[in-house]
Amino acid sequence: MPQKEPADMTSHGDDALSSRTGAPGGDDRLSEDRSLLQQRLAVRELLDTEVSYLHVLQLCASDIRSRLQQLPQGDLDVLFSNIDDIIKVNSRLLHDLQETASREEEQVQLIGNTFLEFQEELEQVYKVYCASYEQALLLVETYRKEPELQREIQGIIEAVLPQAGPSGLSFLLVIPLQRITKYPLLLQKILENTLPDASAYAVLQRATSALQDVVTNINEYKRRKEVASKYTKVEPLSLRERLARINTHTLSKKTTRLSQLLKQEAGLVPRTEDKEFDDLEEKFHWVSLCVTELKSNVAAYLDNLEAFLRFRPQDYNLEIPGGPVVQYCYLARDLQLQAFPEFKQQLEAQVWQPLCSLAKALAGPQNLIKKRLDKLLDFERVEEKLLEVGSMTYEEEAARHTYQALNSLLVAELPQFNQLAMRWLSQILCAFVTLQRDLAKQVLQRAEDSLAQLPHHHLSEPAFRKLVEDALGQTSHQLHAFQENFEKVLPPPTTQPLLPGAERQVQALLSRYGPGKLYQVTSNISGAGTLDLTLPRGHIVALLQNKDTKGNSSRWLVDTGGHRGYVPAGKLEVYHVVPTEEELRGQARPHKDSQHQTPEPTSAPVPSVPTVTQVVAVYPFVARSSHEVSLQAGQRVTVLEAHDKKGNPEWSLVEVNGQRGYVPSSFLARAPSPAPWGWSLPS
Amino acid sequence: MSRIPFKIGQPKKQIVPKTVERDFEREYGKLQQLEEQTKRLQKDMRKSTDADLAMSKSAVKISLDLLSNPLCEQDQDFLNMVTALDTAMKRMDAFNQEKVNQIQKTVIEPLKKFGSVFPSLNMAVKRREQALQDYRRLQAKVEKYEEKEKTGPVLAKLHQAREELRPVRDDFEAKNKQLLDEMPRFYNSRLDYFQPSFESLIRAQVVYYSEMHKIFGDLTQQLDQPGCPDEQRERENEARLSELRALSIVADD
Repeated sequence: MPQKEPADMTSHGDDALSSRTGAPGGDDRLSEDRSLLQQRLAVRELLDTEVSYLHVLQLCASDIRSRLQQLPQGDLDVLFSNIDDIIKVNSRLLHDLQETASREEEQVQLIGNTFLEFQEELEQVYKVYCASYEQALLLVETYRKEPELQREIQGIIEAVLPQAGPSGLSFLLVIPLQRITKYPLLLQKILENTLPDASAYAVLQRATSALQDVVTNINEYKRRKEVASKYTKVEPLSLRERLARINTHTLSKKTTRLSQLLKQEAGLVPRTEDKEFDDLEEKFHWVSLCVTELKSNVAAYLDNLEAFLRFRPQDYNLEIPGGPVVQYCYLARDLQLQAFPEFKQQLEAQVWQPLCSLAKALAGPQNLIKKRLDKLLDFERVEEKLLEVGSMTYEEEAARHTYQALNSLLVAELPQFNQLAMRWLSQILCAFVTLQRDLAKQVLQRAEDSLAQLPHHHLSEPAFRKLVEDALGQTSHQLHAFQENFEKVLPPPTTQPLLPGAERQVQALLSRYGPGKLYQVTSNISGAGTLDLTLPRGHIVALLQNKDTKGNSSRWLVDTGGHRGYVPAGKLEVYHVVPTEEELRGQARPHKDSQHQTPEPTSAPVPSVPTVTQVVAVYPFVARSSHEVSLQAGQRVTVLEAHDKKGNPEWSLVEVNGQRGYVPSSFLARAPSPAPWGWSLPS
Repeated sequence: MSRIPFKIGQPKKQIVPKTVERDFEREYGKLQQLEEQTKRLQKDMRKSTDADLAMSKSAVKISLDLLSNPLCEQDQDFLNMVTALDTAMKRMDAFNQEKVNQIQKTVIEPLKKFGSVFPSLNMAVKRREQALQDYRRLQAKVEKYEEKEKTGPVLAKLHQAREELRPVRDDFEAKNKQLLDEMPRFYNSRLDYFQPSFESLIRAQVVYYSEMHKIFGDLTQQLDQPGCPDEQRERENEARLSELRALSIVADD
């Protein structure tokens, strides 16, 4: 504040002067002298204060800071920020200002020039300091809450700078802020006492407004940072907190924004087109897409890797003591314990983690872009109102300001963000590729060791593949042989040898009912009801009905040749006397209880009575048509087809005496010749 | 093998000597173990190759999605890098498929074939068991008649019982011998059977990883990023993150 002489004195002095001389020139000279004196004093003040300012800064930066041992380095960085840079700049400023003292006439002008030179640097360096000042204050607050710590800090400060007083640290930290805002005032004071027509005046005027600009810019920068930090914070709000946030104010904001947006969409209001911003935003959008897609794809890759590592074929024990099997187990174990886990770990550290950090960094700009749009809508509405009404409220002015702050912030920083993100992305992809190469190298080192010990390592790959194919073909045959051998172990014979005297009975049943209807009792049957039969095991019966009068299909009506009655179906098994079609053709009869998994069907021998095929006509038969052929009892015939043209098995196509024709299948019989149980006859 | 406590219908005479029983159980036991191990091995191999294929497919997706991002149209360097990456991934996928096919043919299929013998073996063992039961039963019957007073009807029944017993005993003896011969042979066949498969498995890995090393080695050169040690990478990543965080528009957390 320029010192003002008491109003009385000035006017009194002037009156006195003018009344005595009556000439204005003398007044001027006197006030001129006074001005000059004031100017000198102001200049002196500027330099002196600069000296003491610098001195205090240096004490803070070196003495005080180094003694604050108990604070972590991170805290010190925040508290003192870029004080070293400030000291550098201000030292040079002081030096240059002191030089001007040697040139008295031009000093003021030189001072003005100096400040103009330093304008840029001062802005850069104080900008940073001021931006972190808030955080520094927060730290100071936290220290204040710990009395022990507070006392220590206070002690250190008082030892070095007693004039800091009880507020110690905060007193010190605000000094640079005070200084930079003081410059315009100091210069103003010099300016006021400079003659307007002096050559120095213009320069000094420019310098003063320049320093004023510096202060304004620093404030603006600080404001931007505040705005950014307000909107980039992605706070995890609970539902309650979110609800609490909604008040009439925010609701009205949101509805006005919505209506503004609708107006835009409807074309009622021109949309503020900003091509530059739109391009930036589009690129940012693609960058985000790239990052999020890559992140989720890498996650999938890692999941699959994990799944792959879960399977451990090398753990199974085939009890094979040496050779390639053992080689493989060693190799696989080695890879699974070392090479692959290392690979996975490195992937996570060098690809996954950075992607996560990069993805997180997207949130800030995304929020800001969204907020900018919101504020833009507010801004447009305000502009409309301005056109209509001609003025705006303070709130509206603030909205406009915020939009502009956000917009300029994003335009300034989004290109950098995009560029940095792309650079990082490229590095991450390179890391991915390098890790793949390294994994391959690791595996090869180990696998090639194993390879060297394999029996056929000298063979080329195609030669080896041929060899393996042949070997597998051979062993496949061997396996077949084993399988067949096992299948030759037949089920124990279920049919019992016929009871003496039963053969005639069987023949009688056979001629009456035909071969398909004969069954043998598999275990003793004791009949309960009057219609139920009692039969010993091995007895042959003929089937009359495969269910009883009530429809119960587990109770069959049979004929024993002497009696008729019911027997449980479960105790009967088909009795074969005559060859069926399959037996004649030597084809496989599907086993009820065994599964064949090999592609080629193996021939399974007859499950019941093993017989040798010999077909003999049992009864004489007289052909009744040209399709049929006559038989004599005991005659040998060759069966061509064991069924007629319609598939009816009760007729067989045979050849006898050079003639062909159909005969009843039941008139043919095989003469059973006993074969050793359990083996099929050699084919 | 039958652990039913003594009751009517069981012979008094020990028809199968203990040593034979023990031998049989031992040999069959080994084969049962082998069956389980080969089954599980086959399953694991199959699942492992499925996971392998899935991994390769997800690697291809990485480069595919990158290639479809509009950034490629704007940034030539990025496009070059992503195209090179895509080519590499696709080639690796093809090699991987080949590897899996080879494993399928020379390891998994043979395992399956080996395993398919076991049902027949198990059935044969069951039938031997059945035969043994029948043998025991009829033996007991004969012994029953032998102990009775030698009257006419009894003698007739005894004769008949002996007639019934004979073929059944022969049947059992035959089955028993056959299995005691075949089982060890089958068990030993595994030694020669599996070696080619596992040799093939190792070689398939070598072929695949050789290609992988070459392809990714070339790509690393092409991308002009010499391999740097892990710590340096970590520092790089931290530097990149700090750069981003220095921007006001990036939130600090």
